[in-house]
Amino acid sequence: MTLTPDKPKAKARKLSMKERYSALTRDLDWDPSYVPADEMFPYTTFEGIKIHDWSKWEDPFRLTVDAYTKYQAEKDRRLYAVLDGFAQSQGHLSLTDASYLNAMKLFLQGVSPLEYQAHRNFAYLSRHLNGPGPRFASLCQSLDEIRHAQTEIHTLSNYNKYYSGFHSYLHMHDRVWYLSVPKSFFDDALSAGPFEFLIAIGFSFEYLLTNLLFVPFMSGASFNGDLPTMTFGFSAQSDESRHMTLGLEAIKFLLEQDPDNVPIVQHWIDKWFWRGYRVTALVAQMLDYMLPRKVMSWKEAFELYFEQQMLGGLFQDLAYYGIKPPRDVGKAIQEKEHLSHQAYWILYQFSHAAAFTTSVPSDETLDWLEEQYPDTFPTYRALWDKEKKNVANGGRHFVRGLPQLCQVCQIPMGFTEADSPFTICQRSVVFEGERYNFCSDGCQNIFEHEPVKFRQAWLPVHQIYQGNCGGADLGDVMQWYGMQPGDGGEYLGSPDHQNWLRWHAQADHSELGED
Amino acid sequence: MSVDAASRPVGVDIQESEQNRAVIEAIEATNADATVNHMPGMVRVTAPGRLVVSREAVEERLGREWETHEFQLAIISYFGHIKEWDDDEIVIAWDH
Amino acid sequence: MTTDTGIDTGIDTGIDTGFNKVIERPEIRSIGAYDFPSRSAQELYGDDQLVHVWYDGNPWFVAAACFRAPKAMSFGDFWAALLVPYHEEDPDWLASWTPADFEWGLDDAPWTPDEGASLASLGVGHKSVIRMVKK
Repeated sequence: MTLTPDKPKAKARKLSMKERYSALTRDLDWDPSYVPADEMFPYTTFEGIKIHDWSKWEDPFRLTVDAYTKYQAEKDRRLYAVLDGFAQSQGHLSLTDASYLNAMKLFLQGVSPLEYQAHRNFAYLSRHLNGPGPRFASLCQSLDEIRHAQTEIHTLSNYNKYYSGFHSYLHMHDRVWYLSVPKSFFDDALSAGPFEFLIAIGFSFEYLLTNLLFVPFMSGASFNGDLPTMTFGFSAQSDESRHMTLGLEAIKFLLEQDPDNVPIVQHWIDKWFWRGYRVTALVAQMLDYMLPRKVMSWKEAFELYFEQQMLGGLFQDLAYYGIKPPRDVGKAIQEKEHLSHQAYWILYQFSHAAAFTTSVPSDETLDWLEEQYPDTFPTYRALWDKEKKNVANGGRHFVRGLPQLCQVCQIPMGFTEADSPFTICQRSVVFEGERYNFCSDGCQNIFEHEPVKFRQAWLPVHQIYQGNCGGADLGDVMQWYGMQPGDGGEYLGSPDHQNWLRWHAQADHSELGED
Repeated sequence: MSVDAASRPVGVDIQESEQNRAVIEAIEATNADATVNHMPGMVRVTAPGRLVVSREAVEERLGREWETHEFQLAIISYFGHIKEWDDDEIVIAWDH
Repeated sequence: MTTDTGIDTGIDTGIDTGFNKVIERPEIRSIGAYDFPSRSAQELYGDDQLVHVWYDGNPWFVAAACFRAPKAMSFGDFWAALLVPYHEEDPDWLASWTPADFEWGLDDAPWTPDEGASLASLGVGHKSVIRMVKK
């Protein structure tokens, strides 16, 4: 036995990232010989997209299976350490307020099920795209998306032990009126072809709008004491940078492959910007109204994440290919002063049929909103003043009936005209003998391109009136929705609010000092 | 009027953590024009036209080996286009 | 309107917003025959139809209401049985108000509803929009 250490051996030369990636993708691909290529890949022609050379698809991440699993495992380890610590230390008691969790209820009911659907469709792409590079990137994204669904459910399940509205989120996602907004958005993408899906979800959702959708939720969590949500959010977002890259590579690839692809892609950008933007109405009201401690206003978030980064950066890049900004972007910019106020006013007056609660904003919040929106908020504030009086007289504004819905985005039609911003926007067209109603030019335009698709929309209000949602009165429908007493309605006096007061009163032992 | 690819800002959002401090410092040192903004839980680094994350600069500050793949544990989001991601550096820039 | 990035963000989206515009069936790109019926077709409601009522100028109601009503229902009954119970939740609604206190529109055109006439005979169709504005 000798104590002399081994002489360090010359390190075996490792393959570079580029070489490893090439070995995994290009070298494991083959041309079919038993069947023609179009039989092996039957779904990549019907949309009219022309691809001449799949090998031109770049994936700058150059991920391989070993690197992917190594870093994903590390991300999960970090997240679960935080979840355990938070649960063990009764972390939920250190939130700013129980009402903060309304934002998370909306997230679990509305967004987490979409992650699972994304997992399914990226798995489909990882089988059906012709190129090995995009197939592998899709496979990674498919695994990412199921990780997101699982980690979100795990993270928020801790709150389900103490708060209402977290149970039955999957059941609700398929049935409840406001959840038909994100669900129908994603179903629209799932039922499209693979290239439209890539532009819809990979590009428009993951690149154009992802920061608006997710970063406000995560920063909101950080500001309101919700460490686990912040951690899963950042953990998911770290995958998002790969998803953004997949979306951006997809669009550049399609545009470079054939000039005939440009008008098709432009229409998809126009459509999916507007579809995605309408879903962000839920985020807008969350930022401005649901967070007890504010991070930034919707207007600020929109200016930063969309106007500066996307219009100022990305679309100048895409102009090279002849791509213009989405056709209805001007309306979205005009609406930044109104969107959150209109969306929360919708949720407020229909929250008796929801699995989250709402309340009149505090005076502090009203003042903050007026500072953020000096030109428009005074008009909305007058409504809150009226409601305060109503509440003082023993009322509470819950609408006694059902609202008109937009055939495309499925949101109650509370949005307004660009040139008359306090007048409801009403649009309609007649197709094959039936009238259809829309909230905006953007939604009308989408319908006009695909009326046979959108006339099949499962509009919650119309379905209730057909008797397909458990019965004729609100109680029947709520039962069919899977809701329990205390899930929705007014926050003040709700079970969550009462429990919160009780837990904090128990924790306060200052009265002991009196004796 | 459009702004050319060399001056339009690109940027990256990084989780604020002990480890990532070295990464952020390395980015600042590598990119003379970089601006650093602190936001809740995260740090946003922007620069006109181009942003480079250099493995060498990160390793110097971390005092250990660092694979560029590890950047995936730090990044939350970015804007721009990932032009290059190899063993030695990550480059974010606009194409056109 | 132009942003400081030089991008034109004009709001004129160039769409024909005629309220009763009839659109043709566009070309459908699909992997097979694609022709499915509406999930909101009038036939699904028997002798009834869906009717929207938009109280224009009153932001208390964030959106127009959607009612299911018999085509043969008179406008007077529609007012008393559906429209008033819905809108009287507004603290500013007066019990003394009658249809004569409002100006009326139907599908973007001026309209004078006769209280004794049926909705169908007054031109109200499935998913029509009745607009009311306080005089």
